[in-house]
Amino acid sequence: MSEETVRETFLKGADTLDMRGSAVEIVRKGDGPPLLFLHGMDGLEAAAGLVDRLAETFTVYAPSHPGFGASDLPPGITTADDLGYFYLDLLDHLHLDAVTLVGLSLGGWIALEMLVKEPRRISRTVLGAPLGLSTGDRRTQRVVDIFMLSAAEVEQKMQTSPLPPRVDPAAQPVEVLERAAHNRAALSLFGWSPYLHNPKLRQRLHRARLPALILWGDADAIVPCDYAQEITAALPDATLQVLPGCGHRIHVDGAEPAARAIIEFAGVSSAAAAA
Amino acid sequence: MKVWQFSEQAYYPAFDVQGSMRVTLPQRHCDPREAQALLNRYLDEYMLADELGYNIMVNEHHASATCMSTSCMTTLAILARQTKNARLLALGIPLAHRSNPVRVAEEIAMVDVLSGGRLEVGLVKGAGYEVYMSNQQSNGFMDRFWEAHDLVVAALTNTEENFSWNGEHYHYRVVSLWPRPLQQPCPPIWMTASSAGSAAQHARLDYTCGTFLSGAVARSVFAGYRQAYLEAHGRQPSDDRLAYLALVSVANDRATAFARAEEMKAYFSTAARLEPHFSNPAGFNSVRDNVRMLQAGSAAVRPRTRDGKPLPANPTIEQYIDAGLMFVGTPDDVFAQIRQFHGEVGGFGNLLMMGQAGTLGHAETVENLTLFAREVTPRLAGLTAPSPDIRAQVFA
Repeated sequence: MSEETVRETFLKGADTLDMRGSAVEIVRKGDGPPLLFLHGMDGLEAAAGLVDRLAETFTVYAPSHPGFGASDLPPGITTADDLGYFYLDLLDHLHLDAVTLVGLSLGGWIALEMLVKEPRRISRTVLGAPLGLSTGDRRTQRVVDIFMLSAAEVEQKMQTSPLPPRVDPAAQPVEVLERAAHNRAALSLFGWSPYLHNPKLRQRLHRARLPALILWGDADAIVPCDYAQEITAALPDATLQVLPGCGHRIHVDGAEPAARAIIEFAGVSSAAAAA
Repeated sequence: MKVWQFSEQAYYPAFDVQGSMRVTLPQRHCDPREAQALLNRYLDEYMLADELGYNIMVNEHHASATCMSTSCMTTLAILARQTKNARLLALGIPLAHRSNPVRVAEEIAMVDVLSGGRLEVGLVKGAGYEVYMSNQQSNGFMDRFWEAHDLVVAALTNTEENFSWNGEHYHYRVVSLWPRPLQQPCPPIWMTASSAGSAAQHARLDYTCGTFLSGAVARSVFAGYRQAYLEAHGRQPSDDRLAYLALVSVANDRATAFARAEEMKAYFSTAARLEPHFSNPAGFNSVRDNVRMLQAGSAAVRPRTRDGKPLPANPTIEQYIDAGLMFVGTPDDVFAQIRQFHGEVGGFGNLLMMGQAGTLGHAETVENLTLFAREVTPRLAGLTAPSPDIRAQVFA
């Protein structure tokens, strides 16, 4: 199956939740302990493979962030800090507790925003290449400023796996173009300035007292390794696991090792994992 | 017809630098001594324009070799003192790129007072690529524009007590302009449009509407304005509510006029030199517009020649003339071209004339401005162009 077909099939299985008048696009899959999956900068559809893989072991709840995909952008939601509250509300809405929280890249930042607010709602967390801490110093950029790059340059830097052949936008269905436009605009809303971080987050990380696993691809060309080390050190109970040869898109370059790391860290029995 | 002299005040020695002319062009390519000479030269040309009976338009851009005026109001503060008669138009102030709307209102009021009430103020969205310099959030850009607009207008028109402002985006304890503007209720306000829809909005507000280098599209812009104006105010707008911007090169013989037009053409080629991804920052244009742009490709936004074809990548002077972006030739030629265009688009009362553009030198600019003022401007006074669609509706 082509990547487009995988994404299309995956999104067809999505539901729409009504959260106080706002539509939330959410994929609910699998059977097992609850896992909330927060996607990265490239939208929920880009992580279809990893979500499907995790659904072999967990009941996965994978929403599109407000403004992304087919999710509404509720009035007043303008920051990742707001998204932290939004997803705590979503846990209430879904009556979920003792959740395994997985977030990649932008989703890792949003996960941290949840964890500093109500760490007890979450049993453990796995963060893949999370953002959220200062992305630069006064005169130097630590995290590559993707807003200064062309889409083609961003794609080149995001993953080590070969890129799919470029499709002429004029030949794409309107829904695909709309989705891409929504994702692009929403990323700008949450990440434009301060660039992909919340200056208040660093001083709050001590509140996230729960077991955390930080995954980092040693071929990540967007976020340097010392950034991963800083987040790991700032969290009360975190360990860093490096994924060899993996770029910033862990869900593309390292979906299988990431899935295994998540399952192992969550302590789910191998029988459930094999089922 | 009011004629406004306009130059982008380019630092054209940098046109030879490879690559983009905006955003990423390193400032080390700017020799400040060269900039000093050029900026003063452009001001001299504006002062000449004042003597010749022109009005004056200035603009601003940021991080660009194509335009050294980084603040309309700084340039106009100088011209407020150094000119005598010209109306002084800032077109415009990119309001949502500014972080402090009250500061914008203060500068407007100060220049209006300095100039003895000769200021006209364009409040514009500004170019998408300038968010890279202003660092303003693209998302919700126009929401902030309109709140800033409301605040600036409230400050300029206030004749009562000082007030506070508790908006969604802007917060002030004390809004108080010292000085307040001389023109009452406030200096005339302009906006720009490249579609009938945005022109209609300006019409409802009774603002002057300018359209830049849009060729045949100006017809639908002006028609949209006239129709909305009639609906909102119950009468036709006067032609001086409408403005069209084009490049003008006039000389006593065609060969000279065309040679100068070639120098001015560098305006088009350098203004377009920008890495494409900077022109459409994420969140700046609506999802619908983004989808439309992706589907249509780049040719869709190019101006068209009279046969309906988009202008090619590097048009000839003749093609620019045909598209209505340049008026070039002898005084007779230029008058005929303007008269034809004026008729085709249903008439307008302001010609925003780039009498200097690109690499056109000082002596040539002086001749251009002088000859146009002497030979063409007087003939523009008699231009009339009935706008049949709208007037038919009035009598319907």
